Amino acid sequence: MKALALFTIFVLISGTVTVSSISDVYAQNDLNILLRIATQADKQIINQLEKTFDDSIPIDIQSLYDKGHTSVLTLENSLPDNIEQARENFLIAMKSFKQITKMMSESTTEQKLTTSNISDRDLQSELNRLNKYFQKLKTISEKHNTGIKFSEIEELFTQARQQINSNEIESAINSIHQLESLIHTIKKNISESSSHSSSDRIKEFASKQLNKIQKILEDPLIDSNMPELERANSLVREIETLISEDNVSDVKKKFGELNKLVKIIKNSIR
Amino acid sequence: MNPEIVPIHRKESLREDGMLFVRTECILDTMVKIPLLVASMIIVAAVMPIQSSFSSPRVLDLIIYPDGSTHVSADIDVDPLVTDYELKLFGNTIDNFVVVGESGFLLTTDVIGDSALIETFGSSVITVEYDIHDLVSKQGRVWTFSLDAPSDFTLLLPKNSAIVGMTNLPINMEIINDQNQLTLSAGDTEIDYLFSTTALIPDSIDSTIPISNFDYISYVIGGIVVVIVIVIGVIVIRAKQKIVKPIQVQDTTQTKQKIETIDAETIFKLKPDLREDDKEIVKFISNNGGQALESDLRKKFLQPRTTMWRAVKRLERNGVIEIEKKDLQNLVKLRKNMEEEE
Repeated sequence: MKALALFTIFVLISGTVTVSSISDVYAQNDLNILLRIATQADKQIINQLEKTFDDSIPIDIQSLYDKGHTSVLTLENSLPDNIEQARENFLIAMKSFKQITKMMSESTTEQKLTTSNISDRDLQSELNRLNKYFQKLKTISEKHNTGIKFSEIEELFTQARQQINSNEIESAINSIHQLESLIHTIKKNISESSSHSSSDRIKEFASKQLNKIQKILEDPLIDSNMPELERANSLVREIETLISEDNVSDVKKKFGELNKLVKIIKNSIR
Repeated sequence: MNPEIVPIHRKESLREDGMLFVRTECILDTMVKIPLLVASMIIVAAVMPIQSSFSSPRVLDLIIYPDGSTHVSADIDVDPLVTDYELKLFGNTIDNFVVVGESGFLLTTDVIGDSALIETFGSSVITVEYDIHDLVSKQGRVWTFSLDAPSDFTLLLPKNSAIVGMTNLPINMEIINDQNQLTLSAGDTEIDYLFSTTALIPDSIDSTIPISNFDYISYVIGGIVVVIVIVIGVIVIRAKQKIVKPIQVQDTTQTKQKIETIDAETIFKLKPDLREDDKEIVKFISNNGGQALESDLRKKFLQPRTTMWRAVKRLERNGVIEIEKKDLQNLVKLRKNMEEEE
């Protein structure tokens, strides 16, 4: 018995030690991540400054950059021991860089407005999003053996991708519209095809829950004169009838009401 | 009851000073049943992680596309006995909304404005996925992602994007298919990024290795790699030590090169209008064999990057130095043909 007690204590202590060592590893990674992000941002900012201003960086931006850059250096020097200082320096650096990008973007926005009228529509991104949505629906469909065919839509995806690659913008937009329409139909078809098995699942779940609720309602501690009890019993009978009639939507509605009553009844016996 | 414990009501066992002596041997066995103690401890140990997992019920993953739209994917715990669940969305402009119950059934939904009513009856976990256009804005070249997240979440940034500002500390960062994936805490988050061809040049070898908080295997593999590198290093050094002569020849050529570079004093005579701080830089480069990395100059003169960069550019314009790229760094070299130009 003593051995068992000692073993348990050992397990608990080693568990605690393991957890604390994991935290240490986590903290270490955390700091390395901060340094990587800050260094990358620093490089990016200096590249942008060189490109935008060449040798004539405005003083306010220069001083902000110096502040950020110094914080990155301090962050590097504070590793790995001074966690608090590292975090503080990371935030100072990233906020300084954020301010710089804001100032730079403010000064370049006007240029963009006067020089560019190109639409920002990114067809590749649109197609990728649509494909992700389609793949999700396809998985659901295949899981429930709906028998829906996807060859047409898959061909259309290939076609749209080719059109985007060959810069046939109008054709690509048309293909994307067709895809949207087809996917909408597919979603509708999946809902209809799986509605039968879905309602079976709901009926099964509701029957199981009804059994549990009936046991709760039979608890002798419940005041038999409680109006909620009478209503709950009546609802149980109604739901049983609705299940036998396959009326799933009404089962859900009645179940919502029954659930609220059961909560009140449970609270009354506590 | 252990007979060795003296009951407190037995007055005869009390001494005159009123102190009660109890034999502590086996007190644990007596006062608390060991099986009970062990069982309690095991239960506590077992329950702790469960409570911990219950306390963070949501999984939230976000993917930002290059056009700024964001794909949201969330696993949410719901009450299976409640017929509907109202989900607050992250904005109004929602596309491709789909919700799946735990058994993989498509759930009926109704999206109104920035909320969705989902028929969740019978499901204890639902998976919600949708695309949203409200989380990223663009000003000039800078894209800004902002979100008040209800839980910790992951954020996959687009390819060739570089973070240039953020308001809070990340929990983790990984690189997945050349894309940065951040793990961030719940609450307000704002991240600025921009697209650049140089965005994903790794700082070092480790930036290509995903950092995982508890990835001990990576550490083990890393350790093995380090050991192999050290062993190879030792072998190479030993092998080199055996071939001394070629290195000496190389050294001689390097010395010759050094001799060939123009000395600082000559440069100052040719360029009398150089700034004092620039002269110091020239002296250092000259003493360093006629060339130095820009990063070394920064370290030597403790100058910020832009200040040193401007100084180097100034010297280049004056025809004193030339800049070459070496391993993605600027190598600053004194020009050999300065006299000829003059």
